[in-house]
Amino acid sequence: MVAKMFKNVLTRRRLLGSGAAVAGSAAAAAILPKSAFAADKVVKIGFLAPLTGPVAAWGKPGLDGCLIWGEWINAAGGINIGGEAHAVEFVAYDNEYDPAKARTGATKLIREDGVKFIMMLGGDTWPGAQPVADRTGMLFSTLLPSDLSPDTTTLIAPCEVHPIYNVTGVEWLADNMPELKTAVMCAQDDALGLPSVATYLAAFEAAGIEMQDDPLLFDPATTDFAPVVTRLISGNPDIVCLDTCYADYVHPICEQLFQQGYGGQVISCTADFYQQIVAKTSEEFMEGFVFQFPDFDDPALNDESINFQMPNEFYAEYASRYGADQWGAVSWEYASIMDLWKAGAEKAGSAEPDAVLAAMKEGGSGLHAFGEADWWGKDLFGIDNALVGNWPIVVIEGGKATIKEFRSIPEWYAKHGELLKKHMSAYGQMWDQRT
Amino acid sequence: MPKLAALLGFGAILLALPHALSFSQQEILVFLTINVLLVASYRLLTLTGEWSLGHVVIMGVGAYASALLSKRLGIYVPAAMLLGAVTAAMIALALSFPLFRMKGFYFLIGSFAAGEIIRLLWKRFRDPFGGPKGLKKIDPMPDFDIGIYAFDFFEPVSYYYFALAVVGVSLWVMWRIERSPVGLTFHAVHWQDRLAEASGVNVRAYRTLAFVLASGFAGLSGALLAHYIGTINPNSFDVEQMVFVLTWTIVGGTATFYGPILGCVVLTILNEIVLREAGFEQMRPLIYGLILILSVLFMPKGLESLVRGAFSWRNARKKKAGETGAAG
Repeated sequence: MVAKMFKNVLTRRRLLGSGAAVAGSAAAAAILPKSAFAADKVVKIGFLAPLTGPVAAWGKPGLDGCLIWGEWINAAGGINIGGEAHAVEFVAYDNEYDPAKARTGATKLIREDGVKFIMMLGGDTWPGAQPVADRTGMLFSTLLPSDLSPDTTTLIAPCEVHPIYNVTGVEWLADNMPELKTAVMCAQDDALGLPSVATYLAAFEAAGIEMQDDPLLFDPATTDFAPVVTRLISGNPDIVCLDTCYADYVHPICEQLFQQGYGGQVISCTADFYQQIVAKTSEEFMEGFVFQFPDFDDPALNDESINFQMPNEFYAEYASRYGADQWGAVSWEYASIMDLWKAGAEKAGSAEPDAVLAAMKEGGSGLHAFGEADWWGKDLFGIDNALVGNWPIVVIEGGKATIKEFRSIPEWYAKHGELLKKHMSAYGQMWDQRT
Repeated sequence: MPKLAALLGFGAILLALPHALSFSQQEILVFLTINVLLVASYRLLTLTGEWSLGHVVIMGVGAYASALLSKRLGIYVPAAMLLGAVTAAMIALALSFPLFRMKGFYFLIGSFAAGEIIRLLWKRFRDPFGGPKGLKKIDPMPDFDIGIYAFDFFEPVSYYYFALAVVGVSLWVMWRIERSPVGLTFHAVHWQDRLAEASGVNVRAYRTLAFVLASGFAGLSGALLAHYIGTINPNSFDVEQMVFVLTWTIVGGTATFYGPILGCVVLTILNEIVLREAGFEQMRPLIYGLILILSVLFMPKGLESLVRGAFSWRNARKKKAGETGAAG
């Protein structure tokens, strides 16, 4: 925190960063389609996510990414809504991953700030905001589609269909390393960990990889991971799966795996700030670590099927402002949601929530960051409000995250959907099992 | 008479207050009112000298009980709230048997362990507690109309009035308890427990009574919270929330009835309104921690010492003015 305070004073790095920002904005202005109107009107977007506390790693980097996205869009002439250019402005509220504060934040953003769309991390905080969404009809987005249910008609999961995409990493492992036969898994026992556990169990079963033991669920208050890791690797498994652990858990678990001499394969949903893990362990230990969130300087993201404006430049800008080691899973995700919202608002000619939602879902498909995708989810969530398509498999090579391949989530689901439903039901994660 | 006028004036301010606030500040006011009950109940417990780390979990017991009673058994929400409070008190009574074999620091750690066991039970038993995701769609307080005012309990102003009435009555009851012989005995148990015991006071029984009463009111505050936000989960009642209660209590001071309430009000306004509005949203934990350290260093008797100092100063001035007048 003190470091963050000092970041606010002018340093050489910040000065260089400012230069990069100007250059980035100029590049954006040159490359992005420019509106014919001056952006004298403003459309406000709410950002209601944890910016402090243990879950801040999945909120704060997303806000940082959105600020870059907003600057670039505004420099390129804003958002054209109904023939008029609108500058975009983000209004943030730190919900501290607390449902009561999510309710307060949603009220403030809608009734005081007049936002037209609210992005959330979701999870524990969505039920707090839901009554406000129901009353106001505000369009919300979540990164966690397990928030979706038939009642949540104004909630969409347009970017991250957590944790379903985790199946692609396991499938890739099985195809490329068929010698790996056994796995163990640990996860924090909470709303984020459990659906992910069910997904990985389905993926391992589909891939013919045997679970050596039941998933080891630890309390979210755990700080000492030595005994967790000792028990985890006691049967010398081929694969250690870290599920969707928070960054505060992934780092110490990796350190413990390294210190306790584990030499097998590690797979995880996220590896936020992985450079710090490499520094705490070794490049050799982290070689081959599989996860699901790419750095956006990856050349594979320059493919024409990718629907994210200038991903490499975006990453460079982010790294220059906040440091490459601050890049995380959500750094690009909220910005990617904004791409979809912008396209929806421009198509609808309106920023009103119902109009944008209808425009976004028109035809049943949309442009996801990683390619064309379908609005899907009735089977698992009771409503087709999740945008699902391809997802990347990322492997650390030489200390750097590298996209190995994109795989289709719907294709996996078409083959193994029943397995996923079986495990989701066993963990009480189907929409109709939620109390 | 001036006291009655001051009380009526204060009541009028409390009634008018939400209309002077923004929507989000009204929301904060609701949570603040609920937290006032929580922190006042915590002081009731500390009267006997015992500090617990499980008080927020006991609040959660009231929240879970009330939510389940209304959700599963269809019990009318206000009745479920009262039953939630009773459940919290009963759980506290059960816990008192092992916990009051301990004192001081050992009680503190024991209460933390007991609280964590309860939290783990909520997580482990998805039926009926909902596991880590907790309970959602908890029945709201049913709306009603009293002719001059239509209560729509989604709206923070309506819920604030309801919570204010519940908290007001609860505070009055706690105040009466503290001023009664029972309350005086609580103080005796705190400051002279051996002397009290030698005088025939059953120290353990009085500690248990304070624990059970405080837990009942904490449970009521949990029930108020659950039926307002409509969702609760085990993390809503974790040790981090307990640290907030401790901070309010320490910064406010525990020598007077109003000390912890003052701490809760001042720190909530600072944390939720002043720092957010001033653009220090992400630095709030740092500033909050700094305030706690500074207040312990420079104001060890809490904010209440400032109020008492102001009253002493005013009385001294009055006395001096009186003496001067008499001499003239």
